[in-house]
Amino acid sequence: MSEKNTGAASVAAEPMVRIEGLRKSFGDLEVLRDINLDVMPGRVVTIIGASGSGKSTLLRCINLLETPDAGHVWFHGSDLAAEHVDVNRLREKIGMVFQGFNLFNNMNVLDNCTLAPVTLRKMGKAEAEEVALRHLESVGLADFARADVNNLSGGQKQRVAIARALCMQPDLMLFDEPTSALDPEIVGEVLEVMRCLAAEGMTMVVVTHEMAFARNVSDEVVFMDKGVIAEKGAPEKLFSSPEHPRTREFLSRYLEG
Amino acid sequence: MSKLRDFVTRDHRYVLLGTSAVAVVGMLLSSSPRPAMSFLASAFTVELVMYYVLAAWLVASALALAFKLTHWKSYAETSPLVRPPARRALRYASYVIWAIVLVLVIDRLVMGLASAWVAAVSATDRPADDFLQNILWMFWVSRSTYVTGVTTTIALAVFGTVIAFILALLLVFCRIQAVDRPDNDFVRFWKVVGTGFAKVYSTVVRGTPMMVQAMIVYYGILGIIRATGDFSGAELNQIWSAFNAGLVTVSLNSTAYMMEVLRGGIAAVDKGQMEAARSLGLSQWQAMLKVVFPQGIKNSIPGLSNELVINIKDSSVLSIISVFDLTFAARTIGGNYYDYFPAFLIAAAIYLVLTMVATWLLGRFAHRFNVKTEAVGSTSDTPVKVEE
Repeated sequence: MSEKNTGAASVAAEPMVRIEGLRKSFGDLEVLRDINLDVMPGRVVTIIGASGSGKSTLLRCINLLETPDAGHVWFHGSDLAAEHVDVNRLREKIGMVFQGFNLFNNMNVLDNCTLAPVTLRKMGKAEAEEVALRHLESVGLADFARADVNNLSGGQKQRVAIARALCMQPDLMLFDEPTSALDPEIVGEVLEVMRCLAAEGMTMVVVTHEMAFARNVSDEVVFMDKGVIAEKGAPEKLFSSPEHPRTREFLSRYLEG
Repeated sequence: MSKLRDFVTRDHRYVLLGTSAVAVVGMLLSSSPRPAMSFLASAFTVELVMYYVLAAWLVASALALAFKLTHWKSYAETSPLVRPPARRALRYASYVIWAIVLVLVIDRLVMGLASAWVAAVSATDRPADDFLQNILWMFWVSRSTYVTGVTTTIALAVFGTVIAFILALLLVFCRIQAVDRPDNDFVRFWKVVGTGFAKVYSTVVRGTPMMVQAMIVYYGILGIIRATGDFSGAELNQIWSAFNAGLVTVSLNSTAYMMEVLRGGIAAVDKGQMEAARSLGLSQWQAMLKVVFPQGIKNSIPGLSNELVINIKDSSVLSIISVFDLTFAARTIGGNYYDYFPAFLIAAAIYLVLTMVATWLLGRFAHRFNVKTEAVGSTSDTPVKVEE
């Protein structure tokens, strides 16, 4: 983490992720239309918007779980969208947390965390477990290391998923609606972990419906509407005086509710 | 097991009617002729008493039924039979009835079978006029032939299924290949070829009868071997025996079906598992091997187990190429005595035992892998307990 922090300070001018003219459609449906976005190192960018506005697709284009139709996604200066780029190597540096947790059902908590480091980093099993236990400790689940993932609660599963991603020591973390499948009482424990992560200086892109999180934790908020970025800016500005009428309409629903 | 115990010790609802049905069976048995080894033959008075006890139960039940029909609305309040002491007495009496019928079953059926067996085994000529003795005699006289047949059938089914499982794993691996972004043209080409081959293989094998496949495998390869050298008939039989041809047929046939079972199991693994593995940087191959395959194979265990049971039965078609399996053995024995019916009845009984044992063993095996084998639509319902 400390190594990353100094890196963030020295190349602050260079964006970690640069998205240029990104387009994606599923059949006739245009999901993303000409998206441009920069994510600076050490910053937390939150993407908000109605369902079907293309938030998740945009996020999944950053680690190429969806292949863009046109445009560029630069990560640390290499274009992910270019032909024959080694996506696997780049994905090692991009952690992702899913709405449905997607923990590996055939392994226990610790094996979930050590699978990728052991397979890809050629790390010894013991060393990988030590790293994994440290990350599990930081999300408060060290006691569950030997537990079967199917016996955990939703909040615990999501925290394991975060620890699993952190074990690869990523430079960038992507969160795809990490709390949408959780009941309101345990949303807090996951958000707390994310808040700590942000405070440690992790670069994060978060798709979420948690407006309080977007407002308090993020450095930049992006509002998406019908496949385009309708508005983006600092959270105070976007939440208190939104310019775009769609943003105003969307936010008023949340503020009323 | 606990359900059965509860039914016997607690449940009152079926005491009168259920035990009456059992009593009727006992009375029928009692009026059937005694076999040679019957032990009740020397205790005629005991059996007479037992017969009248059974009859008495039927009378009591009939009275209870008549009372119930006449006092339909007030039965629960007025009947002397619903009082707890009466219920308890009825239940103990029903145990006596069951015990009597059990004794009769042993005396007539078990001892009957034993007498027929002893008579059949010691008979010098075929007891053709006694149906049961005839079956037992044929089984006893041809036992070594049946053993040969059963051994061959088990060998074909077990080895065939194991070989097919390994081949199916390889084939399903070809079948589910999808072109991935980092693949170069060479890899892409082989993925397309592999998928195509698996599809064609599955379609051809599942679309033709196994009997025809057996003929093609046996005579096809026999022809190839014959063409490659000058072999005598005995040598040919050594190299390419009917058993070998049968084993190859079963294996190749079962491979196609097992591949489809595995494909289904793998397709049932949540897409998110693959995505999560890929998002961590694992290659398609690593994600398959470490995450998707283990879960897919676990999903497939019930279907794969079923293949063994199917192979036990379907290896019977291999008798067309003279594989000496159970069916061929039964046909041979039937031919020896010009009496096919008992020969195949015995074969059917042996097949049934084999498949039941296989199902039971595989059930235990699946249980160890935590595979859910509950009945479809079952709930955690427990039987209603009736107050005593």
